[in-house]
Amino acid sequence: MNPVIPIDQLVDRVMAELERKLAPSNAATAQTAKTANPMPDIAAALPEVAESITDGERIAHVPDPKWEEGLGELLASTPARIGVWRCGTRPLTKEVLRFRCDHAAAIDSVYGTVDSSLLDEFGLFTVETRFGNTENYLKRPDMGRIVTDEGVERIRSRCAAKPQVQVVVSDGLSANAVEANLRDVYPSLMDSLQAYGLSAGTPFFVRGGRVAVMDPIGDILQPEVLVLLIGERPGLVTSQSMSAYMCYRPRRGTVESDRTVISNIHRGGTPPVEAGAYIGTVLKKMLEQRTSGVNLEL
Amino acid sequence: MVRQTEERVTKGTQPPASAEDRWITSVGIDIGTSTTKMIVSRLKLARTSGALSLPRYGITERLLAYQSPIYETPLRTGDEVDAERIWRILEREYEAAGIRPAELKSGAVIITGETANKKNARQILHLLAERSGDFVVATAGPDLEGLLAGKGAGADDRSRAAREAVANIDVGGGTANAAVFRRGKPAGTVTFHVGGRLIRLDAFGTVEGVSPSLRPWLNACGYRLEPGRKASFDLLQELCLAMSRDMLDCLAGKAAASRESVAALLLGAPLEPMPVLEEWTISGGIGQLMDSPKPSNVEEAAVHGDIGPLLAHSLKEQAGSYPAIRLGRPAQTVRATVIGAGMQTTEISGATVFLDAGLLPIRNLPVMKVDLAPAMLQRSESLEDLLERTMREGASLFGSEASPPFALAISGLQQAGYAEIQRLAEAIAGSYKRSFPGNRVFAAICGEDVAKALGQALERRFGPSPKVICIDQIRVDLGDYVDLGEPISGTMVPVVVKTLAFHRGEEVTDG
Repeated sequence: MNPVIPIDQLVDRVMAELERKLAPSNAATAQTAKTANPMPDIAAALPEVAESITDGERIAHVPDPKWEEGLGELLASTPARIGVWRCGTRPLTKEVLRFRCDHAAAIDSVYGTVDSSLLDEFGLFTVETRFGNTENYLKRPDMGRIVTDEGVERIRSRCAAKPQVQVVVSDGLSANAVEANLRDVYPSLMDSLQAYGLSAGTPFFVRGGRVAVMDPIGDILQPEVLVLLIGERPGLVTSQSMSAYMCYRPRRGTVESDRTVISNIHRGGTPPVEAGAYIGTVLKKMLEQRTSGVNLEL
Repeated sequence: MVRQTEERVTKGTQPPASAEDRWITSVGIDIGTSTTKMIVSRLKLARTSGALSLPRYGITERLLAYQSPIYETPLRTGDEVDAERIWRILEREYEAAGIRPAELKSGAVIITGETANKKNARQILHLLAERSGDFVVATAGPDLEGLLAGKGAGADDRSRAAREAVANIDVGGGTANAAVFRRGKPAGTVTFHVGGRLIRLDAFGTVEGVSPSLRPWLNACGYRLEPGRKASFDLLQELCLAMSRDMLDCLAGKAAASRESVAALLLGAPLEPMPVLEEWTISGGIGQLMDSPKPSNVEEAAVHGDIGPLLAHSLKEQAGSYPAIRLGRPAQTVRATVIGAGMQTTEISGATVFLDAGLLPIRNLPVMKVDLAPAMLQRSESLEDLLERTMREGASLFGSEASPPFALAISGLQQAGYAEIQRLAEAIAGSYKRSFPGNRVFAAICGEDVAKALGQALERRFGPSPKVICIDQIRVDLGDYVDLGEPISGTMVPVVVKTLAFHRGEEVTDG
């Protein structure tokens, strides 16, 4: 039996072997020419490659499709990976790279943080939950629902109590979602509150929050309605999706069916500016009907 | 048949009224060259977006609830329609259908064929508008007529299942209106001087009259037909076949529109380029006659006092002789136009809109259009320039007395964020106040889902006056006219777009 060799070492060995066999006699000179200045080549090529993978228009790779227009319609109807074609039994390299790129973006969103300058722009101060770190946040959703003692203190000291509308922003599972959408959703939401004559309390940001962090905040500040703008679990279609969870008088023990949600807020889904404008309408109805979630008639 | 559909509505499928599910009653009235008919339909409005998305409603079901008999269009003189008698027919039909004008939330009156050229066509529309309830009134040129007939005949649906285009040719007494649909969308319309009543005959085949609109074609082909002379069955048959061939060759792309006989048959411009057809259907009175037995002598041919039956069978024979194009069966024949008018004219705007319900309905609002490129939204100056020009042009085209003077159609906002919307609102508010000082209402129709945000941004800048109507997810173009109905459940605005897009600037009709 051969000893077990890690796959990458095996590949390296095969490649080295191949190179030796295929190299022409003047390989040495070519080698030096290449290695003398390898960085600019890579640097120049990389952004191009990255761009072609991430920003490229979605096109089918099916060679010679029987009905090109029909294939185009199918592609336009879904963000799913269809018409990707294959090479032998495997996917094409560019599709694999695109897939891994999207996957990496999703992971980055979970592990990323919201830039403090963005929060400053809207005057949001920050409190934390007991999530500790991202690993723990993923394993212990319950800890993302409890604000730290220090955070509670900060909320008490800085926020107006018993506001009509309390706005809270949280990174949730995608900091990227907040970065991508807050500048559109938040001011539009504030305008819609003004348009309906609703008054907002002191907004703030919760780091490491879960949806149900609404409940302890409801206990602390006792708002009439609370709206939480929170990053959604990223997927392979987008890592920038945000939700707006809204609740009439959230309290510890509020059940999930009492929450109203507008989800999938991003440039390719629910339009962010229009979502912000519509949140005011929903909140107005909650205040009129004194309820939210499944009991709310929209 | 009629009863059955009505029962389906009232007994089994009608759900309790809720915000999610609503039925509206719509009426269609077609006053044509030779016949007048009406239908009543029930349109189901239902939420089409998911529970977690922004609300969006659409018409999800269309039921034909009532159809009137076919009446002969009452004429007072040769070129004047008898409006009072039309109204009496409609009153009777409303009663038979069991509806009151006040219940009608949408619908269309369409004056088709040669009737549209009658002296009092406009007067009839106004009369019907006043008396028929709050439904929408539309007049039509041959393009809209062809489109409605195509939809009524189901050609748009059939084209969704076809790879290439599907055409419906609605052949009536005076004209043949062809509408071409590709993948469910209208690709264009063409009108021909082809119709059953263009040559009138007595029972023995004596020509009683030839419509002046057919003369150029007869001359181009070298046919001599004089009133008072007898025409042989063979000649009439040959003539109908030649007429059918010229029209169908043109639609099939087999004959250039420059062929002299084809050019003489065309009313207005041909479609350039003509889409490749996979199927065609023939509706209208002639479409219906295709199912009756083929006439074998001149007495049988002249049973309606014209060449209708002969033309129908010539068309049927000719339309089946193109190997690449299937002759399909239309969903409707003689009622295709009226059903299209009653069931297919209304669209529903997006449900996140900005408006004051008291301002609606508004009828016959002309459309000004701005297409915004993403780069333009970044620069206030170019945006302000564009809107300033648009407003001034609007003021000179439509005057500034009406409030609103026109609806501003805005497209290109797919990627618009908050900053872009604010910039746009600033530019609109400034230019509107300069061009229309003292105007009380501003109306906008956005292609993309931004109406609520844009409406709020505009209201903050306009203050108490002008008031803002901002709806979205409706496609309109310069030259269109729109009717905005009363909102249903406060948020859904029924909209009728009277598109003149295929007119190519020839003439502009309004209601």
